[in-house]
Amino acid sequence: MNAHCVTDDELHAYVDGQLAPERRLFVERWLADDPDAARRAEDYRAQAALLHELFDPVLREPASGPVEELTGKLRGRMPGNDNAAPWHARHWVRMAAAVMLIVGGAGGGWLGRGAVDQSPVVQQRQTLQTFAEEATQAHRFYTSDERFQVELGADNQDELNSWLSKRVGRDVFGPDLGKVGLRLIGGRSLPTELGAGAQYMYVNEANKRVTLFVGAPRSGNPAKFGFSQNGDVATIYWVEGPLAYALAGRMSKEDLLRVAEAVYNDVKAGPRPPEPQQQNQQNQQNPQPQQDQQPQQQQDQPPAGVQPISDTHKPKDS
Amino acid sequence: MSTFGVELEVHIASLRRYARALLRNRSDAEDLVQEALTRAVARADTFKAGTNLRAWLFTILHNVHVNQVRSKASRPDEVDVDSVESKLVTPARQEERVELREMMRALDDLPEEQRKVLLLVALEGLKYEEVAETLGVPIGTVMSRLSRAREAVRAKLANEGSVALRRVK
Repeated sequence: MNAHCVTDDELHAYVDGQLAPERRLFVERWLADDPDAARRAEDYRAQAALLHELFDPVLREPASGPVEELTGKLRGRMPGNDNAAPWHARHWVRMAAAVMLIVGGAGGGWLGRGAVDQSPVVQQRQTLQTFAEEATQAHRFYTSDERFQVELGADNQDELNSWLSKRVGRDVFGPDLGKVGLRLIGGRSLPTELGAGAQYMYVNEANKRVTLFVGAPRSGNPAKFGFSQNGDVATIYWVEGPLAYALAGRMSKEDLLRVAEAVYNDVKAGPRPPEPQQQNQQNQQNPQPQQDQQPQQQQDQPPAGVQPISDTHKPKDS
Repeated sequence: MSTFGVELEVHIASLRRYARALLRNRSDAEDLVQEALTRAVARADTFKAGTNLRAWLFTILHNVHVNQVRSKASRPDEVDVDSVESKLVTPARQEERVELREMMRALDDLPEEQRKVLLLVALEGLKYEEVAETLGVPIGTVMSRLSRAREAVRAKLANEGSVALRRVK
């Protein structure tokens, strides 16, 4: 149906998440009718996933000394350096922006584009909707093939959380969604226009995947829950404290809302202390008497895997 | 760390990944990024605040690369034959997977202009306009290179019988 109306360029734009929203549904309908085109789209996605699998390890390698040094130099020289309190960080501007947001409603964005349109800094700032769109695309992409879903598994949640916190530049963690039947399987870091975002992936018993995308907006204003439906992927998004969240899944709005509630509550409660859990596991494996006999050793040698809490990426108000 | 610092670091990590994928050689890739950043520092004043930092950085990297290729071509004797050894980007364990090895090979077989477009789009997630700006070509050229690159890779992987590439679910 209407196959001739969809161009090759549009198929690529669809795969790359660069298709105008009003055409997306159209292309999806076409793909449903045309198995060859659908296979092409899947192959293109698989290519991208393979590329990520091949080269994403570079992201975790330390850069060479000179590159580090130059990064620091560049940071000092570039405009837009928010170490030097740019105009939008000044108190009265933020107040004014907050007032604008309340008055204008700003459609759920954290700084309406319309409010201060002339500033290029603001123009570049993403709206919450854009963030949610990115989350939706990322969900679509990384749930398309089970083998490429996560960069780092959830076997060691401390490592996962601290790595992603470092990428995002703020403390983030994968909430416990056991209550709603979801198990954390891992996460990945994704470069976005506003810096790195963290994607946590969960799976339920029916093998259905839900992803939670967390990012650090440059200025966060608490926003109401937003909802978007993009093809078969539903996304709920909001801002809480210094972080923006977008939860995406192929499920009904009601089901997704239940998950969002669980995320919200767990985020409010804060990260779980990781050590006791490990300790428990050890206790289960080791019979009690042994521990009673050697209490000294237990104290002297901390359990493997426990690391000092990092203080290098504390949340910082911009 | 400041938000700007984080953003800059993400882009530079992205540059390093792209350079590695493009050159397939660790030290060449770090050198390229280093040279690009040196130039970026020197020209920081020309960057307009609020414009696209990522595209700006990639454009500088691309220009440096073009110059390097040109100067290497004029001194063909200096091509480093021994560097073949260090071409393995990923741990050997990873390349044992057939489809990864085939993908790597397919990437190598692409003409460089197509490889750049495919990497910038599929790996770095640049928008088509950003790729056009980075490479200094019209957007139509970006699209046709992308299309040819993807179909060439597809044909290669299909030839190798990588049925496993099909989506599982």
